[in-house]
Amino acid sequence: MRILMTVAVFATLASAFALYAVNYETRGLAEEVRQREQKIEKAHRDIAILKAERAHLSRPERIGEHARALGLRPATRDQFVAYPLTDPLQSNVAR
Amino acid sequence: MAPANRSTGNWQAHRASSGVIITPGLSDQTLNRGTHQPAPPTAHDCRRASRIRALIAITVMGLAFLAIGGQLVRLALQGQNEQHIAMSAPIATAFARPDIVDRNGRLMAGDIVMQSLVADPSVVLDVEEISAKLPTVLPDLSPDRIREALSDRSKRFAWLRRGLSTAEAKQIHNLGLPGLDFRPELRRAYPLGRSAGHILGFVDIDNKGLAGIEAYLDKANSVEPVHGPSLSARPPLRLSLDVAVQFALEDELSDAMRRYEAKAASGIVMDAVTGAVVAAVSLPGLDPGIADERFEKSRVDRLTAGTYELGSVFKTITLAMALDSGRVGPESMIDVRQQLEVDGYPIRDGHPAGHPLTATQVFLKSSNVGAGMLALAQGADNQKAFLERIGLTTPMATEAGPVAPPSLPARWGDIETVTISYGHGLAVSPLQFIAASAALVNGGHKVTPTFLRDGDNAAGYAAGNRIQVIRPETSRAIRDMMHANVASGLGTGARAAVPGISVGGKTGTAEIAGAGGYREKAVISSFLGVFPMEEPRYVTLVSLFEPTGTPETGGEITAGRNAAPATARIIERIVPLLGLLPDKKHP
Repeated sequence: MRILMTVAVFATLASAFALYAVNYETRGLAEEVRQREQKIEKAHRDIAILKAERAHLSRPERIGEHARALGLRPATRDQFVAYPLTDPLQSNVAR
Repeated sequence: MAPANRSTGNWQAHRASSGVIITPGLSDQTLNRGTHQPAPPTAHDCRRASRIRALIAITVMGLAFLAIGGQLVRLALQGQNEQHIAMSAPIATAFARPDIVDRNGRLMAGDIVMQSLVADPSVVLDVEEISAKLPTVLPDLSPDRIREALSDRSKRFAWLRRGLSTAEAKQIHNLGLPGLDFRPELRRAYPLGRSAGHILGFVDIDNKGLAGIEAYLDKANSVEPVHGPSLSARPPLRLSLDVAVQFALEDELSDAMRRYEAKAASGIVMDAVTGAVVAAVSLPGLDPGIADERFEKSRVDRLTAGTYELGSVFKTITLAMALDSGRVGPESMIDVRQQLEVDGYPIRDGHPAGHPLTATQVFLKSSNVGAGMLALAQGADNQKAFLERIGLTTPMATEAGPVAPPSLPARWGDIETVTISYGHGLAVSPLQFIAASAALVNGGHKVTPTFLRDGDNAAGYAAGNRIQVIRPETSRAIRDMMHANVASGLGTGARAAVPGISVGGKTGTAEIAGAGGYREKAVISSFLGVFPMEEPRYVTLVSLFEPTGTPETGGEITAGRNAAPATARIIERIVPLLGLLPDKKHP
């Protein structure tokens, strides 16, 4: 009987410690989740800013200027062909 | 432990609850049950029992200390967790808005998180220091305004500047001024600047939509009130606009404004079948991010906020009305040799033909007398009914807001019928006019302008519930006339011809009504364009406000010399962007 009691007491203590450990671990995990959520939120904000910056940098007004500096021009009608080519000899490619 | 105790009996529960101490009464019971030989506990037994008790107590305490010590070491190694205080009180309610993108998904407006500078006047040590140092970073924030904001020491909160750039926030932070703080806030960013600013509209300081598509987002319940800077998770709103076409139109229109020394210009490219607006420009433009520009009168959206007498482009409508009645054909002769006299007012042509003209020639030569005679033959009531049918007399609205309602003549008699036939006496907004014109060339079904790519309109046209407003044959005849006006070399729109694509159109040069009559040299010259003529897909309307005669136009201010060639340059540039194949058939 004594042995049973002792075992039961130790089992109680062990489970109490286990519970405590699990509780702590859970809090740790919750903290980790919160931190990750914060990181996600931060990433979302960064993405929003980067998207706006990309849109600002790739606005046609600016790209046009750079393209002209590189010697590019808007496409002319000679640069278009119907696809699939029905008659390669008459298409613009053949010239 | 409790359930186990209950099942094993009362005495055990008692024992368990009192630890290992055996009460005299209980031990009697136990001994009685077990051995039937009651033996008094010896001193040795007592010592042994107390030793065991002490041992157990020591072990338990030792383990507990060990656990606490272990945890302390663990926490020391791991580092202390930060303390977080959640403030759930609604301090400033903001509005999270979804992005606005063009038809290809390119960003036109989006929320970003920016730092706003706030102050706690009760904590501020030295107001003079702040008002001296802060303007070094923010030059447009005057020391007086800072002093005023910080003057009331009983306050705990004052905005100093909302929406700082990251660099500015960093510089202010480095000044190290006590009492200042940053608060992240949602701000609306318009990365394209003035491009499509009139259509996008704008938001107030709390990110709530005030005009244009931004106001539409609020009305459509796409905007969520939020506490703090959390971005909207909703899908973006997709517009029918195309950023590339929009820019091409802006670029060509500002070029036209320079070339023809016009005070303002507007242009629109619309899908002739669905009414989806691909590009809409009103110059001078409006940057939604600059609040001061909203009140500048010159920056008004000429496409929707103003109504104008558009002049001879209206003859397209008069001809459609005459042809649709079935009483006039494209080859019907109209005698325009005499000037027309209505209610005592003489109506004459700038360049009288001197011989009778066919209905088509009336259109090509843009004869006021011819158009007036065609309208008179129909009568005021029929004209009114026709204009109503194609949607030119009733107020119209789009997702970007209500369109300025048409100004109808107070009295609609014979003289009004004649003047309206060539575009005077009835003022409409260009957007409303182009929507009506689209119906004349798309086979005759009514078009409702929309700025959304996947709006109700698209679904409606797909389902085939189109409202026919003129007969398909009339639409075909109007197309032929518009095409001839550009391609035949006989019409006023010859300069709108574009190599590689068949274009049709109609010119219109309207004198602007001023105080006490029309102003001679102040005109709005417009060109209504359609392409490709084989199967019209797009309609355009380009208007130049008060252009001046330049050497390039031979000193003239007529639409054929300015709006028509401007339209040609626009169409040539946007054809590839719209996915149309330039064809060598059209030289």
